[in-house]
Amino acid sequence: MYNVAEVNAEECVAQKGCRLCIMYCPEANCIQLDTSKMKAVIVESRCKGCELCVVVCDAAKHQAIKMVAR
Amino acid sequence: MGKKIQINKEFVDIMPQDYLDLVETGTYESPNRGWKDFGTATELIAEHSLCAGCPESIAFRHIMASIPNPEDTVMVGSTGCTSLVFPMIAVHNIHSLFGNQNAIATGLKRALALRFPDRVKDVIVLAGDGATVDIGLDMTLQSWFRKERFTTICFDNELYANTGGQESGLMQKGFLAKMAPVGKKFEKVRLPEIARESGCDYVAVMTASKPSLVEKVIKQAVLIAREIGPTYIQIYTPCILEIGKQSMEGLQEMRTSEAPGERFKFREFISPEAQSFLDGLAEKKKAEKLAASEATS
Ligand SMILES: Cc1ncc(C[n+]2csc(CCOP(=O)(O)OP(=O)(O)O)c2C)c(N)n1
Ligand code: SF4
Ligand code: SF4
Ligand code: SF4
Ligand SMILES: [Mg+2]
Repeated sequence: MYNVAEVNAEECVAQKGCRLCIMYCPEANCIQLDTSKMKAVIVESRCKGCELCVVVCDAAKHQAIKMVAR
Repeated sequence: MGKKIQINKEFVDIMPQDYLDLVETGTYESPNRGWKDFGTATELIAEHSLCAGCPESIAFRHIMASIPNPEDTVMVGSTGCTSLVFPMIAVHNIHSLFGNQNAIATGLKRALALRFPDRVKDVIVLAGDGATVDIGLDMTLQSWFRKERFTTICFDNELYANTGGQESGLMQKGFLAKMAPVGKKFEKVRLPEIARESGCDYVAVMTASKPSLVEKVIKQAVLIAREIGPTYIQIYTPCILEIGKQSMEGLQEMRTSEAPGERFKFREFISPEAQSFLDGLAEKKKAEKLAASEATS
């Protein structure tokens, strides 16, 4: 089992300009901005499951990311 | 698509997708490249083997997004955790024997100036604190004394991470580590002050907690090194593994360590020559903006 991050598009406020998880994810090219929906999306194959995205998203009170088992 | 970075047509169908992405949506030759490209452009780093949540990875991302001239930059690395990332970056780079990085960069910078007299070629050293301050201190200092024109970046995690946590010159006094069980007896070496006294025209001390600040500092350091003299950036990239933090705690560790009075509170030294160069750049930018707004009105 391996934990990866998952964005709940309904809670994500990237359309309002939030980029916190994209800025702070330690892995390159791992969280992308879906420019048609304007939501953050995780590239699961690059996610190391560190949970830093959850920390920064929660701290900003968006609570749009949770860890899921794969 | 940039002119300098292209794929030979014959090879397009056999190149891996990651490579095609770099050429199509990488930010080579983009004059305003920076952290704002994250999420929409292909970054110049591929998957590497640093620990989950390692702040070295965060700093590396911010730096690779910010270097002003990636297509004409050569980076020099050294042994340590950073050397696990270098094979995965899309910028020319040389791995040097542990500690030799500033000597290699010296020869490289001079050779590039002779070989490409009409082209701007930047050289950037990026190495750990063990490589910069302990084993490579001779090479680090000598390059500054000689005013060699390249940027030295030290990823300061205050110990030897890659070999399991031995004491480093940049470790704090009294700190205990797995392979330094009696606690460090000496003060953290004041390398930023030594850099200033040794001839660096620009010195910055920081953490990787703010991508906009990393971008500003990296751009200044590379441009000053290109035109004026040596530059040095010491950036706190805590080894979460060796200081007993969880994978998601690195950012908070950096924020705590840059509070007022803490050892990584942001500070910079700028020589008068470098300052007037920066002032000139700011003037130029202002004039360009004015001209652009006049052209549209
Ligand atoms: C000439 C030489 N001496 C010693 C080593 C063993 N060695 C490998 S990594 C390392 C420590 C690296 O520490 P630092 O530069 O702080 O980088 P970090 O891993 O902390 O990022 C050492 C001593 C080596 N590879 N080569
Ligand atoms: S931090 Fe949260 S709200 Fe902001 S872009 Fe990421 S997922 Fe969306
Ligand atoms: S868990 Fe870590 S690696 Fe995965 S997306 Fe979040 S910040 Fe990135
Ligand atoms: S050992 Fe420390 S510095 Fe090296 S990758 Fe892991 S967390 Fe980062
Ligand atoms: Mg180190």
